[in-house]
Amino acid sequence: MSAETEDMSENSSDSQAQAQFRREVRAWCEEHIPRDWRSSQTGVGDEEFARFQKSWFAELHSAGFAVPHWPVQWGGGTPVQQQVVLYQELAAHDAPRLVLAFVGIHHAASTLLVAGTEEQRRRHLPAILDGEIWVQGFFEPEAGSDLAALRTTARRVGDDFIVSGQKLWASGGMHADWCLLLARTDPDAPKRSGARKSAGISYFLLDMTTPGVEVRPIRNAIGDAHFCEIFLDDVRIPAANLIGAENAGWQVAQATLGAERGMTMLELAERLANAGFRRLVRSAPVDDPVVADRLAQFETEITGLRGLCRRLVEHGPTGPADASIVKLYYSELLQRLTDFGAEIGGLDAHTVVTKPMSSGWESGSWVLDFVGSWEWTIPGGASEIQRTIIAERGLGLPREPSVA
Amino acid sequence: MILDLSDDAQEYGRQARHAFESAGGDRLVAQAEAAPETRESLVGPVLAELGAWELDPRTDPDGVEAAAALCRSAGYWALPYPLAERLAKPADLDVDGLIVIGGARPAGTVAGPETRWAAVTVDGHRSRVDAVGPTEPGFVTELVLSPIDDAGAGDVALGLVLPCWTLLGMLDRALDLTVAHVNLRKQFGQSLSSFQGVQFQLTDAEVERSGLDILAKHALWTTATQRPEATDDALALRMAAIEAADVVFRVCHQLHGAVGFCDETQLSWLSRYSQPLRRLPFGLSMTRDHLTRIAARRGLAGLYS
Repeated sequence: MSAETEDMSENSSDSQAQAQFRREVRAWCEEHIPRDWRSSQTGVGDEEFARFQKSWFAELHSAGFAVPHWPVQWGGGTPVQQQVVLYQELAAHDAPRLVLAFVGIHHAASTLLVAGTEEQRRRHLPAILDGEIWVQGFFEPEAGSDLAALRTTARRVGDDFIVSGQKLWASGGMHADWCLLLARTDPDAPKRSGARKSAGISYFLLDMTTPGVEVRPIRNAIGDAHFCEIFLDDVRIPAANLIGAENAGWQVAQATLGAERGMTMLELAERLANAGFRRLVRSAPVDDPVVADRLAQFETEITGLRGLCRRLVEHGPTGPADASIVKLYYSELLQRLTDFGAEIGGLDAHTVVTKPMSSGWESGSWVLDFVGSWEWTIPGGASEIQRTIIAERGLGLPREPSVA
Repeated sequence: MILDLSDDAQEYGRQARHAFESAGGDRLVAQAEAAPETRESLVGPVLAELGAWELDPRTDPDGVEAAAALCRSAGYWALPYPLAERLAKPADLDVDGLIVIGGARPAGTVAGPETRWAAVTVDGHRSRVDAVGPTEPGFVTELVLSPIDDAGAGDVALGLVLPCWTLLGMLDRALDLTVAHVNLRKQFGQSLSSFQGVQFQLTDAEVERSGLDILAKHALWTTATQRPEATDDALALRMAAIEAADVVFRVCHQLHGAVGFCDETQLSWLSRYSQPLRRLPFGLSMTRDHLTRIAARRGLAGLYS
């Protein structure tokens, strides 16, 4: 089987329902994935990127493929076995990736489903399907890995909360219509005896058009600016946009932040194996035995990752640190793979300063991909945090001694 | 065998580091990136004041040590100037500097200053640089060459060794910046530096940097004394320098977190401008390939032969 055709054959482990669904998805992919999207989206600006993302989301939505993981009454309801097939096929057909919609269909949706009122769900879930874009307003200058140290405040005035503070690393902030916002509603709560630092935090839905919200893009080392700072200056949020109970925002965030990790990691693993790795193999000088050895090693590791992800989504976690293991393994593998792409691409690879927007993390512009891969070992729980979780929760080792 | 710089060379390096700081320090590379044609006027005067062009690294053993110390200090500030190339100029050609080249599209980080360059391959083929191409990121530019002769085998080692000293200076700085960052940055109520996992990553990086430091001194000595194994040692140094840079920058980026990829932090600039040094004239695999080819049958002479 050549590198080009991997996963395009019949899949012998499919059930009858899966095989039927796989045929449907393949036929849809053949017809609906824009053939030229890689070239037409290479190096485009923010506006065209957003337009393309929205139209691709609408395309997936009309086929019922945008939110397969949502409950059936909100437009989802695809069985897990079929979701696996869907993401395998989208990756195998090198479909564009949903970037802008990501926070909306995963974090916003799971927050609304877990903690939202019926009214909040009715207001936002259909709107997300119509293209409402969401951003995370969690991290702050002094609260990165230590998220519970956040200092943005929200004080109650009548039927509103008045919010002030600064949020950082808000991916896609300039395109967002709504923001998932964590703010401190009871600044004294953590000081009470026995209280945790995370006490007194509330979770809000913030309309980004509210006066006092300012978004500033941060330019990064590869020249793009999808990370943003969000400045909040006496921003008025109606109390009706509080989600979950006042001062119980941390619990809501904990319950929803990692909710979609399994299936999204499976999708990323499939992309790494398909578009990403196949592209690398195609461009590699495979006659060089050292290169061939390294590729074989990567193939083995990717197979392991896909297995881990598939077990996680089909059978659920087998240990308390499974999600951390998958995230740590994927992020470091992605970093090594893109690094290797840059290495064998040589100097030529370094002169590529644009990449196909809407592609996966392994777009084939390897140097940009390598720098981009650091978005995986730092945010979303840095590798250091994942290792701590694996040690403490997975292996049951004692907590690191506190110096304070 | 001499495995340390003389006191004079070390003092010269310290003075150069201060002089670069006074001349603008971290701002220099940002200014030069905005206007590569100003590299000469930005940096030329301070180098002239330091007596850089009076150094004679090709024939004077003190001069080669001073040149190495100067390159290291230049690396510390990511000084936007092809200093190592200027200092490596061959003794017998009427040019201002030497660029070691490799690969199908010879290039150097020489965009900007109007300088007469010679180029040499690892095998000693020398050419004159007739013209340079458009300026690419990192001051890289392609070179248009016309052949001179095949007598450059003795020029190669210094041309490889001095840029490694520049890279070493970049690693010195990256570690200094990162140690300062993890001491300052608090998460979970304590400095990042108090987490053993953070300390161990930094120690791994420091071990790499310090290994490079000693190899750089060894290769400088074999080059200065024009020993027959000088080119082998220079290639071995280059391999170690690229490997060390990979580890050091990886650790420094990870410990800086996301801010390390933003140009508000100097690490972002250092890391970006370390790239041409790590890729030119050839990257890790081709460096290994050259080393294997020229030293495989007999191995390196080493410290004790």
